[in-house]
Amino acid sequence: MWMRALRWGAVLGLVPFLHAAAPQPSDWVPMRWPWSDPASLELLSGTPINCLLLKTASPEFVEAAAGRGLVTLAVIAPGGDVVGAARRAMAAKVTGIALEGDFPEGIAAGVKETAGGAPVIELTARGRMPLGSNTAILGTYQGVWPGIAVEEDGAKKVAPTGSAWIDTNTGFIRAVRAWGDATLWIANQPPPQTVITGARYLQAIADAAICGARWVLALDHDFAARLARRDAKTMADWERMADLLRYFEQHPEWRRMREYAKLAIVQDPAKGGLVSGGILDMIAARHTPVRPIPRQRLTSEALAGATMAVNVDADALTPEQKEVLRNFTRSGGMLLTGPPGWKDPSPPGDRITFEKAELERLDDIWREVNAMVGRGNMGVRLFNVSSMLSNLLASEDGKTAVVHLVNYSDYPVENVAVHFPAEYQRATLSTPEGVVKSLEIYPTEEGWGVDIDKVSVCATIKLEQQHDP
Amino acid sequence: MTRREWIALIGAAPVLKAADAPAAPVSIARCASYDEDVTAKLAALFDQLGGIEGLVRNKTVTIKLNMTGSPGTRVQGQAPGVTHYTHPKLVGATAHLLGRAGARRIRFVESAWATGGPLEEVMLDSGWNVRALQSAATGVEFENTNALGKAKRYSRFKVPGSAYMYPAFDLNHSYEDTDVFVSLAKLKNHATCGVTLSLKNCFGNTPASIYGDDAGADEPNESPTKGRGEVLHRGARQPSKSAPQELHFGSSHEAEYRVPRIVADLVAARPIHLAIIDGVESIAGGEGPWIRGVRMVKPGVLIAGLNPVCTDAVAAAVMGYNPRAVRGTAPFRKCDNTLLLAEAHGVGTTDLKRIEVRGVPIEQAVCRYDS
Repeated sequence: MWMRALRWGAVLGLVPFLHAAAPQPSDWVPMRWPWSDPASLELLSGTPINCLLLKTASPEFVEAAAGRGLVTLAVIAPGGDVVGAARRAMAAKVTGIALEGDFPEGIAAGVKETAGGAPVIELTARGRMPLGSNTAILGTYQGVWPGIAVEEDGAKKVAPTGSAWIDTNTGFIRAVRAWGDATLWIANQPPPQTVITGARYLQAIADAAICGARWVLALDHDFAARLARRDAKTMADWERMADLLRYFEQHPEWRRMREYAKLAIVQDPAKGGLVSGGILDMIAARHTPVRPIPRQRLTSEALAGATMAVNVDADALTPEQKEVLRNFTRSGGMLLTGPPGWKDPSPPGDRITFEKAELERLDDIWREVNAMVGRGNMGVRLFNVSSMLSNLLASEDGKTAVVHLVNYSDYPVENVAVHFPAEYQRATLSTPEGVVKSLEIYPTEEGWGVDIDKVSVCATIKLEQQHDP
Repeated sequence: MTRREWIALIGAAPVLKAADAPAAPVSIARCASYDEDVTAKLAALFDQLGGIEGLVRNKTVTIKLNMTGSPGTRVQGQAPGVTHYTHPKLVGATAHLLGRAGARRIRFVESAWATGGPLEEVMLDSGWNVRALQSAATGVEFENTNALGKAKRYSRFKVPGSAYMYPAFDLNHSYEDTDVFVSLAKLKNHATCGVTLSLKNCFGNTPASIYGDDAGADEPNESPTKGRGEVLHRGARQPSKSAPQELHFGSSHEAEYRVPRIVADLVAARPIHLAIIDGVESIAGGEGPWIRGVRMVKPGVLIAGLNPVCTDAVAAAVMGYNPRAVRGTAPFRKCDNTLLLAEAHGVGTTDLKRIEVRGVPIEQAVCRYDS
């Protein structure tokens, strides 16, 4: 009897430490867990994944996960007794609930009440996300599957630069991040009936991470089956995925940095601002840094540091917002507005990409944007990056900036050149493969330049202002 | 030659000057990869041609590169230098050797695809080390000849004798402000012209500002963003009126007829003094990744000569073709033979019997592109 009491005492004594070790929602690294066998959790050893989204949450599994310090979220979809499902999940002692889909009004509130203070993450359509709210995690089940776009006939789609077009969520993520500090989860799943290589998973992870979001890791059935039987090649892919996640999770400061660009784009989330493949992504495809500003948050402060601005839907602005833009031009900023009567095409319903006719409408403004930006350095210029996308982030004091690069091709890219402004005098390259090295800088027309020999999936160049001793 | 081939040849060449066309030696060297000492291989080629000092000492040398298409469009993700662009190592080696031979100024030119911006940026986008090229010799310059560039006016080049398509061309000043003109080409097939070698490389001399799809109707468009399909390939419109107009506008809209003739006119108007062909690694089946079915090949050769038609004739033979083949015969199945058209202009001979091949014999260098 006294031995049992001693054991309980020891366990209870650990509770405060276990509680202290529980990650905050903003630190959750999520994955849709396809297995219900507690033994499957062994796969997580050594990975930074600490939050499991479960379709079925058995008490045994949840207990085993909790024993490993893992957060568990029961995924509940619309239909049936949602509140009852939430009650059953909470009874199984999950950490919280993930509501995935678009629920009738009041359901989310009912689930939150049932959860009794436990976290409830809502994975909604993009257009239904509570932008600007104080929720810790914003989530959506909608996302494009990142990668080089291929036409039906097998040919690669071409971007405005003449390069292959890259499907990406980065523009959408930047548009959401412009609303505040909530952590964004992209919870789209791999396209069905498609062979997803390990490299494609890496691209999906990096596509979200370079903009400070997290892709909710989701394995296709085939990959999951191979992983479950510990297939050697699949295990190697799995380890690379873990390495890549760890790479980004080891740098929480990157997530706190803000998008930096001398080019700002004013867009309304309700009018195409949350669509993938729109103007924001088209500019990014030219490797031009661009900073989205939601129309609703257009202020002089939001435009600070910008030298060019694109006002996509001029008619939507309030008189006060128009005055902000007038002041921007009075102080030397260059402003491009859409052609008279032109409106940002907004896809109907919950569609997140444009169709051909809508893209053709975008051409009207794209040509002007292209001409205005020209060869200008909007924060950084990148060369030999046709199969890549990038993101430029800067610390609040501006003394540090990072340039993230993601390679979406199946081949490493060699000889990338990066030109950056003169205020940064030190450059360091880091990669998920463990490379950390100081780069030799050389003068360029616009400041300095560095060369990167090779980029496999992604790389980061940290730029720093040099301080006198 | 069959009677049919003869008739076709006569049709292709209004004034046949094959017998009079000059002949010059051509050198072939083996170079299995760009990791080999490309400079030494090229130096040996130049030596076999009698050296280049006499040609370039104290001279301005302009080198037309082949950087066709957008640098972002690639064959299987490979660097363009190992597929359809001239390789930067060979470019650097050429500059180094020209500098060593006493060239005063070396200017790299290309009409970069769909832009009038600096050529250096297109090179960077291609993964080239521009700083290394700049330091390969003293006096290295770059000019994108797709527009006016660094000059205030275009230079006019008249086609001597009877032009096929255009009486003259307006080109970037770099093609005039030079003592020596080098065509540094790639050993490739071409969808429209059968082969693209040192002659066809010069199709890219034409600025899109004047000959491009978005060229101004009256004056050049100094910010071109398109290719030359409408004006040169299809003859759907004339170039900017500021430039000499097409002679028989509307008579042909067939690219396979037009482009070989335009090239022949161009090389007659702007003669090539030195032709260098990069056949180390390349593609077969077309000139770039936008052509379906192109495949990577490793001929492992460098070819150079002081006459571009002779050099191309030898290069075509190395590719496994008869350089005097006529329309309907590989590689000119659907097009006229640019080499014969240039020969008829008196630029050089395609007759292999009249061309002395130095270094590696053709039969030992053959890499059949049609296999």
